[in-house]
Amino acid sequence: MNPMDIDAILLSLKLAGWTLVLIIPFGIWAAHKLIRLDRGRPWVEAALALPLVLPPTVLGYYLLIGLGGKSIFGIPLVFSFTGILIASLIVNLPFAIQPIQRAFESINPEIREAAQVSGLSNWQIFRLIELPLAWRGITSAAVLTFAHTLGEFGVILMVGGAIPGETKTVSIAIYDKVQSFDTSGAGALALLLLGISLVAIAVSYGVFGRGTHHRRGKANAEA
Amino acid sequence: MVFLVEALTTVEVKQMLKLKISQALPNPLQIYLECEAGQLHALVGPSGSGKTSTLRTIAGLSQAKTGRIQCDDEIWFEANDVTGVQINLPPASRSCGFLFQQYALFPHLSAIENVIIPLQNSALAKQERRSLAQEWLDRMGIAELANRLPHQLSGGQQQRVALARALARQPKILLLDEPFSAIDTPTRQSLYKTLADLRKDLHIPILLVTHDLHEADLLADRITVIDQGFSLQTAAPQVLFQKPRNARVAELVGINNMFEGVFNSGELHWNDSEHVFQVLDKGKIPPNTPVAWVIPADGLSINEQASNTSIIAKVTQISTLGQVAVIQLQLHGGKHMITWQASAAEVKRLALKIGNLTNLELDSSKIHIMPLRLINDPRLFTS
Repeated sequence: MNPMDIDAILLSLKLAGWTLVLIIPFGIWAAHKLIRLDRGRPWVEAALALPLVLPPTVLGYYLLIGLGGKSIFGIPLVFSFTGILIASLIVNLPFAIQPIQRAFESINPEIREAAQVSGLSNWQIFRLIELPLAWRGITSAAVLTFAHTLGEFGVILMVGGAIPGETKTVSIAIYDKVQSFDTSGAGALALLLLGISLVAIAVSYGVFGRGTHHRRGKANAEA
Repeated sequence: MVFLVEALTTVEVKQMLKLKISQALPNPLQIYLECEAGQLHALVGPSGSGKTSTLRTIAGLSQAKTGRIQCDDEIWFEANDVTGVQINLPPASRSCGFLFQQYALFPHLSAIENVIIPLQNSALAKQERRSLAQEWLDRMGIAELANRLPHQLSGGQQQRVALARALARQPKILLLDEPFSAIDTPTRQSLYKTLADLRKDLHIPILLVTHDLHEADLLADRITVIDQGFSLQTAAPQVLFQKPRNARVAELVGINNMFEGVFNSGELHWNDSEHVFQVLDKGKIPPNTPVAWVIPADGLSINEQASNTSIIAKVTQISTLGQVAVIQLQLHGGKHMITWQASAAEVKRLALKIGNLTNLELDSSKIHIMPLRLINDPRLFTS
């Protein structure tokens, strides 16, 4: 594996890491708001789910327009790490929000009412009751976002191009290698991506599975 | 829409809960009741009658458009049609212990952690909270289950944890929403005892919502019968069963022997029969008023000898259950069915058999007469 491949791998991990750090707190906040939203909820949910159904080229096109030139932030963002990070955040919205939203929705409303009549403030209810009860959904969102960011291709290519060390992630490096007939190099990176994704999802399943057993086992031991 | 809830606790020792609710929409609700500290007040009625809505409104889990809720010298909620909502404390700021039908324990927390939750905002140190929570579990007789998670507890044990949680904050009132309906009978009996013991010690008003009349009779000092959002009658259980205010109350409390008649200056003419009874009233009933009337079990007897007041009735059914027998009697030459309860020994002494004609004595001094129709005049609640 040459240094450029290492760069691509590190860049992908950096992108996935930053995406995770930024999107999970937002996902928790948005999901918590969404379940209490009465008016316009279907439209908000539809907007957040758009990245699931839109072709990457459509999303990439709008991002190019929005982030190009001086961009809506006042500085050019296309073909930079910040640009692909913004793209990655938008693409991952449904993966981050939906599992957390489902987790919050599955909490029995009576549990929340019991917390209210126990004298807890809304923040205390969120911190002591809702968040611990939704942790599986949050883990699920984190794993999906991480794995999905590593594998994201179309939007990253359109917004970031393929600048080594800046926007050339593993999935784009694989594409470049195939284009230049370096099938063995592409194969090595593809295998790596496959491995990381498999491990990430397996770990999350493992955490889910053990979650109840672990807690149960501990409680039994105490009793 | 008028919606009024008053919860009043006057002096330190003698607390009082006063409740006055009136609402036309979306569901009609007109509830009036008073409950003293240390009293257990049951709200009884069919499902959908507004019992739980009343409880939730007091706790702040449901909000009324207008009305007033006051507990001690604290106003929990106040609003009227003209000025709108002025005060509306969130549930967390109302000092209510609330027991849910399905327990609603926090599933990720152990029994003791569940009881510590209401102490989160107390001035106590962490260790003191834990020992106070443990004390409550001791008091509920489940000290050894402190570290179990809710799903590792039986229904009865979960409800004991929930009760400890409801009381840990030392609430000013305790609200129980059908807390025993999901629990098996033997466990329920022991929970009844726990509640009866607690009632004496706590000295706060306790409201119990139940559709189980037997439960209300067993536990409550007073019962309010609620039907379709209206509180029809509030009385001690014995009074309620003997002197229901109207035909609907009698029906709801399951009185067997209820009939219709016409009341005319001291004489009750039994509809569809030639029988007339002398019944005292307070002179409130206008002449020729159609009424419903009931006769309690102890107002009925069967004699071997006929008298000039006895009613001839045919035995149509005898059901014996242990020492108690329930006998169905049909009025001779009529359609009226009367249920008579007696000891099995009495039935044996009288040698009652199906098809026998008997001499039924009806003690007219025990007859209770009441209006045939519901009185749902909203003006009754404005005073």
